Amino acid sequence: MPVTMASLSSVSARTSPSPAVAPRRVVCASAPSDNGAGSSATLQKDRKPSPLQRGGTLQGAAAAGKDASDKFKSMAEGKQRSGPVLQMVDGRFSDFRWTGGRWDLSLFRDPKTGGTSWDAVIDAEMARRKLLEDSPIACTNEDPVLFDTAEIPWWAWVRRFHLPEAEKLNGRAAMVGYVLALGVDQLTGVGLLDQQNSFFGKVLLHVAVFGILLIRSSSDVDRFKGLIDEAFYYDKQWQSTWEGQERPSSDK
Amino acid sequence: MASAIAQQAAALCTAQAPRQQTRSAAKAFVGAPVQRKQSILGRSIVQSSSKQQAAPRSSALKVYAIRDGATLDRPLRVAVIGGGPSGACCAESLAKGGVEAFLIERKMDNCKPCGGAIPICMVEEFDLPMEIIDRRVTKMKMISPSNREVDVGKTLNDKEWIGMCRREVFDDFLRKRATKLGANLVNGLYMGMDVGADTITIRYNEYKEGDKVGTPTTLDVDLVIGADGANSRVAKDIDAGEYDYAIAFQERIRIPEDKMEYYKDLAEMYVGDDVSPDFYGWVFPKYDHVAVGTGTVVNKTAIKQYQQATRDRAKVKTEGGQIIRVEAHPIPEHPRPRRVKGRVTLVGDAAGYVTKCSGEGIYFAAKSGRMAGEAIVKYSEGGKKMTGERALRDYLDEFDRKYWATYKVLDILQKVFYRSNPAREAFVEMCESNYVQKMTFDSYLYKTVVPGTPLDDVKLLVNTVGSLLRANALRSADSKSVNVSFGSKSNAEKVTAAA
Repeated sequence: MPVTMASLSSVSARTSPSPAVAPRRVVCASAPSDNGAGSSATLQKDRKPSPLQRGGTLQGAAAAGKDASDKFKSMAEGKQRSGPVLQMVDGRFSDFRWTGGRWDLSLFRDPKTGGTSWDAVIDAEMARRKLLEDSPIACTNEDPVLFDTAEIPWWAWVRRFHLPEAEKLNGRAAMVGYVLALGVDQLTGVGLLDQQNSFFGKVLLHVAVFGILLIRSSSDVDRFKGLIDEAFYYDKQWQSTWEGQERPSSDK
Repeated sequence: MASAIAQQAAALCTAQAPRQQTRSAAKAFVGAPVQRKQSILGRSIVQSSSKQQAAPRSSALKVYAIRDGATLDRPLRVAVIGGGPSGACCAESLAKGGVEAFLIERKMDNCKPCGGAIPICMVEEFDLPMEIIDRRVTKMKMISPSNREVDVGKTLNDKEWIGMCRREVFDDFLRKRATKLGANLVNGLYMGMDVGADTITIRYNEYKEGDKVGTPTTLDVDLVIGADGANSRVAKDIDAGEYDYAIAFQERIRIPEDKMEYYKDLAEMYVGDDVSPDFYGWVFPKYDHVAVGTGTVVNKTAIKQYQQATRDRAKVKTEGGQIIRVEAHPIPEHPRPRRVKGRVTLVGDAAGYVTKCSGEGIYFAAKSGRMAGEAIVKYSEGGKKMTGERALRDYLDEFDRKYWATYKVLDILQKVFYRSNPAREAFVEMCESNYVQKMTFDSYLYKTVVPGTPLDDVKLLVNTVGSLLRANALRSADSKSVNVSFGSKSNAEKVTAAA
C-alpha cells in the first residue's frame, strides 16, 4: 500500500498535531471510506477521513490524557514544554518559556480558553524582574532582552491591576458617602434622595468621590506633601542668588 | 551724648537683628513679603522690604573708590582663577574685548576626571578643531535593570555625533587659544584674595619653570572670576554657600582590540538600583581604552559597591581588560546659593552649572565663562570703564534665563525616571520610540528645548504614563523599590531610606 504509506509519512511530518483539527492536506485514501466510531464529527463533508482518523481513533476530549508524557511530547515536537523555571544558570537567566530574549507566548496557553494566559505572562515577567533586581547579571550581546511590556494587551493590565483596586476604592467611597449622607440627613433633615437635589449634598458627594480617588490610604497624605515640596525645590535652588536682589530682566 | 544714644540704638538693633534676620531670610526665600521691625529707643518702626532695601551681604552698601562707570586710564584688569573650559573661555572673551585678563591655573597638564563628552553645537560655537576630538559617538545604548537594551541614536544623521575628548588636550587647546588672543597665562595656585577699596589683591603661589614649591606673589585686579571647579576656593572666599554634589567614580580600562571594536562609536548607559540609586553607570570609549564608571549623590560611601556592580554588568563586554587608572571627582547638583559678591563671580562647575539626569557640565561651563567675559566687556565698553556687580548680575541673569528650561526639564526627567527600578524600566522602554530619541538628541546636541508637534507630544505623554503604570504594576510586593516617596529630604534621611 504505497499510497497509504506516503500519506502516513506526510501526516507525521506536521508538527504539533491536534486531534480536534481536521487534516489540512487532502490525503489520497484509496481505502473505502467507512466511518469508524467517533471519527466523522470533525471532518469536512467533501473530505474523506484519513486513515489516522478512522478505525477507532478518539477525537477531542475523549482522547485527552492519552498522550505520552510531556518529555517525549516535547522531544517529538521539537519544542521545550518544561525545563528550568525562573532560574539563574551560569550567570544567565534561564526559563524554558524565555527564548530569544522574549517570552514565548505560545507556551502560556490558558487551558480553559485556548488563548494566551496573560496573567501567567505578567507573573513570569514580575518574577524575572525581581530575580534580576536581587542578583543583577552581566549584559551580553549574545542574549539581548527584547521583551516589551506593551505586548501584553491593555485589558489584561486593567483586569489584573486596576479592577481590584477600583473595587476597593469604590467600596470605600460608598461607605464614606453613605455615612456622610446619614450625617447630612441627621443635621438638616433632608432625606437621602432629596440630598441629590441640594447643592450641599452634591458638593459632599464630589468631595467623597474625588477625595477617595486621590487619597487612597492614609500614607498618601504624607506622600503628596512631600511631592509639592520636591517639585519646586530645584527652582528655589536656582533662584537663591536673586533672593533680596533686583534681577535685571525684571525691569524689562 | 547723641552719639552715645545712637550707639545704644545701634546695639539694640543689631542684638535683635540675628533672630529676625534668619526668619526674614527664610520668608524671603519662599517669596513672602518681609517686614522688619526695628525698635529704636522703645519705638517700633516697621520697614517693609523694597527692592532698594539692602540685604546684609549686598554690595549696595559698599562704597568703591573707583565707582562703576568711571573711565580708567589703563585697561580693566580681571583675574580668572582656574584654567579649565570655563576659565579659558572667559579669558578668551575678555582678551578679545580689550580687557587685560590674567588666567591663573595650577597644573598645566591637569587631566580632570571627566566623561569627556561634548555636544556638536559646542564645536561650532567655540570653533573647536577636529584634532582634539578623539572619537565621534553615534550610537548609544541604554540598558535597564532587567538588561533590556535599547539603541538610542537611530535618528541621528551622519552630521550629528557626540564628541569624546581627552580633557588634558581639550583644556590645553582652549588655554593656548586664550593666550594667543592676549590673555596672560600664569602657572600658580590661588591662595586667597583681599578685597580693598579700589582693587582686589589676589594672593597666589607662582610656579616658575621647574619649581616644585611656588613663590607667594600678589596681583592687583579690578574683578575676579572664580572658575576653579567643584572644590572652588574662590567660592569659599566669597561665602557662596554649599551645594549638593555627586561623587563620580571611574576606572579606565584597556580592553582587547576585538572588544574595543564594539565600542568604536558606541557609548553605554546602565541604569538600576545596583548601579546607582540616583545616577547611571556608563561605559564611554576614550581614545584607546574605555572608561567604566558610576556616580551617586545620596549614598557616596557605597560608591565602590556601585562601581563593582557596573563592572559586573559590563563584565562580558570588557573581559580581559586592564585597569590603567582609577579616578574620582565631585559633580555639583545645583548652583550655589550666592554666585556673585561685589566684584567677584563664579562660572562653570564652581557656580554649579551641571545638569541633572545626564550630568553634563563642559558646555555650560564654557558658555558661562564666555557670557561672563562678554558681559564685562560690554559694561566696561572694551575695558575703558570700571565695571562691577551690575555686569556680573547681568551675566547671571542672561545665563539663568537662557538655560533655565533645559535644566528644569532634565530635573523633571531625573525625578520621574531615576526614582526606582520600575521607573528606570519605563524610561528605557520609552527611549525605544523614535520620537523620544529625536527630541532627546535635538535638545542635547543643539541645546534648545525643542517643542515638537502637539499630537506626538500627546501620544508621548500617554505612552509615558502607560509605561510607568505597567512598570510599576510589574514590581513585586517585596521588591526594594516599593517604598518610593517624594520630598527633598536631607541627605542623611535619604541614605537610610536607600539602604
